[in-house]
This record gives sequence, structure tokens and C-alpha cells, in this order.
Amino acid sequence: MKTVLLIEDSLENTILVDRVLGASGYEMLHAATGEGGIQMAVEQVPDLVLIDIGLPDVDGHTVVTVLRQVDELAGVPLVAITAWPADIAQEMCDRYGYDGVIIKPISVRHFPKQIERYLTPEADA
Amino acid sequence: MELIEATAFTLQELADAYNETRIDYIIPMPMTVERLRNYIKVYDVDLACSCAAVRDGEILGIGMLGVRAERGWVTRLGVLPSGRRQGVGRNIMNFLLNAAHARDLPEVWLEVIEGNNPAHELFQSLKFEETRELLVARRPPAFREIAPGEVVERPHVHNVRSLSHEGTLALLNSRSDEPNWLNQTESLSNVDELSALVVDTEDGGHGWVTYKTSLLRLTRIVVNVAQGDPAGVAAAVLQTLHEFYPTQDAIAENIPEDDPKWPGFLQVGYFEAFRRIEMVRDMGAWKMETGD
Repeated sequence: MKTVLLIEDSLENTILVDRVLGASGYEMLHAATGEGGIQMAVEQVPDLVLIDIGLPDVDGHTVVTVLRQVDELAGVPLVAITAWPADIAQEMCDRYGYDGVIIKPISVRHFPKQIERYLTPEADA
Repeated sequence: MELIEATAFTLQELADAYNETRIDYIIPMPMTVERLRNYIKVYDVDLACSCAAVRDGEILGIGMLGVRAERGWVTRLGVLPSGRRQGVGRNIMNFLLNAAHARDLPEVWLEVIEGNNPAHELFQSLKFEETRELLVARRPPAFREIAPGEVVERPHVHNVRSLSHEGTLALLNSRSDEPNWLNQTESLSNVDELSALVVDTEDGGHGWVTYKTSLLRLTRIVVNVAQGDPAGVAAAVLQTLHEFYPTQDAIAENIPEDDPKWPGFLQVGYFEAFRRIEMVRDMGAWKMETGD
């Protein structure tokens, strides 16, 4: 079973993502702050990290900055999940080295496939 | 709808309301009690001059006023989705401007994020005038890998000194430019453990940078160039800072768009994340309008 860590401060969004990905067979981990998310990522080494850009302590960009420096997480996709306008979000995420961006609101139907694509990148070939 | 002074609410209530106002905002910035407490302290927010709009016991919006000698500053203005298009923002603004007037503040400043058209139009209708655009810049660490064989021009730094909080404040007091509210000395003197690096370059340039460091990032970055090419010396100063703190993310707020030092920021890997429009309102005119 693949593990996804969601770093997200909104309980509503967390419940939605948990339900959608849980129903698709993912094991979910959750942190509500950037620092908590960093700690959990380092301790648990999930298969993928979903990061809300707007967090209450440090923002998603800072979280990615730190996670990129952890050797154990080198192969773990870091994906932004954000309500920012798509073009701005994409540019910011490119600059900070995320592996991708998923724009909120998520599509319940497509979201598991979007996650699967990051976990099996060869499927794009 | 009733406007109630912000002192009637707990910080938790104000933070919760603020977060609700930003739920669909262009740049979401979640607030905690601790952050709000620090924000109030650093930016001299006067809760007695601030308010919440309330209907049937529910907060519809909030607005805050920073108060300093000879000027006020509108901040944290927001309306919950359920209160929009009902004049809530305008009523809150009138409360804040009346509070500024009651304090005899000759002018009130604010910033609005570029692209937040409803807020911008509200401020224009209240006779706020644009003064300049301000850049919010970010710099991820190790922003670019050097290609094999690539020759990189690095600034030639002759001498570096680090300063304590008190030394840093003395530097800030020596500035001749007109910083935005966030970067005024009054703000930065309220920040705990502010530091500075003073740099002399080999070609005679002289400049400094203030910063606050944490485990994860550098904030409160203000650069000043006293001598030499503004962009070149700024680049040297910033490069030195990031060599001291190579793993931290960096955020520099409210750099004037036409600041000659900005190309120096770009040289060392900063980029524009978003921009704010700074606006000011002459409160002398408010006096005439209200007939006071």
C-alpha cells in the first residue's frame, strides 16, 4: 500500500482528500503545519507528499526547500495542492522544484489518477 | 450590521475570522493566535482603532489600523464570503478612517495585492491614491546548479561584519529612503533578534543587509547600499548573506519596483512572487468631507 502525506491546515480539505485517496487504497498521513509536515515526512518517508502552499507557520515553498535537502526523500514526489491561479502556481512551483501542481478544487473522479501518475511516472511515456 | 471595536474579541476569534475572510483569497495567508499577536506588536496595530463587522452574532468582516506618529496603516481588512457585496468592507473602512481622524493622523497608508480588484476599487473610491508598486520576492536555496566548466562571476567581498540587534537598528535609522510600513524602522525595531551583515566590496562598494533567521528561513531582508553601484553591491551583500545561511529559504517583502538594488536581488536568485500596490489617503481631505 502506498503512503501519501498530506500537509494541509484546512480540516475540510483534509477530510475530502483522505476520503478520496483512502477509497483508492492509499494510506494517508496528515500534518496541519509546515513544521509538523517536515517532521512527519522525515520520520515516515511516505511515497508522495501533497503540500498546501498556504500554511499557518511556514508556507509550502519553505517546506519543499527543506524536504529537498533530505537525502532519504530524494525520490519522493513533492506535489503542491493549491487554490492559487494555475499559471502563478505553476511558475512558483517550478522555481521551488516541486514535482507538480494540483489545483483546487480537486476533481473527486480524477484526483486518484493524478496521484497515481506521480507515483508511476513511466505511465506518462 | 454592527461595527464592534476589535478589543471586544479574543485573538482567537479575530484570527479565525481573518482566516475565514481569506478562504478564497488570491494569496492565502493563514493566521494563528501567535502570529496575530506578533503581527499586532511588530506593526503597531491598535485594536482600539480596529473593528469587526457583526450581524446576528456572526463576524462578517474585520479590519485593523496600525498607528504611528503622523500616519496610520490599514491592514488585515477582509470580508467573509457570506458578507460580500453588502457594503461590509466600506463600513469597516469608514470605521478605520474615522479612528485615524480621531487620532489626528494626517495620512493613512495601505497595500493591496495586485489583482485584488474589488479591494483596489474600494480604496480608490475612498480616495486612496497609488504611490508605488512593491515586490514580494522569494529565493529558494541552491536556486541554480553551476554547469560543468561554467565560469561564474562572484562578487569580490573585501570585508564582512555582523551586527547585533542594537547595531542593526542604528543602521536602519541611518537610511535616507522611504521604506514601506513593513520595513520602517518602527516595524523592524519591534522584531526580536534582528541581525545585519555589513559588507565592503573590493571595488569600494559598501552596503548592508538586515535579516531575521530561523531554522527554515530568512525574513526581514532589507538591503541598503551606501556606496557603489546599487545593484552590484546589493548582489554582493545578498550573496554574502546566503553563503552564511545556505540552506534557508528567503523572503524579502515590499521592495519598490523601481528600486535600483532590485537587479542585484535577481542576480543572486530572487524572483518576484507577487506584488502589492501601495496607496495613501490624505486625511486632511477626510476632515473636510466629514465637515469636522
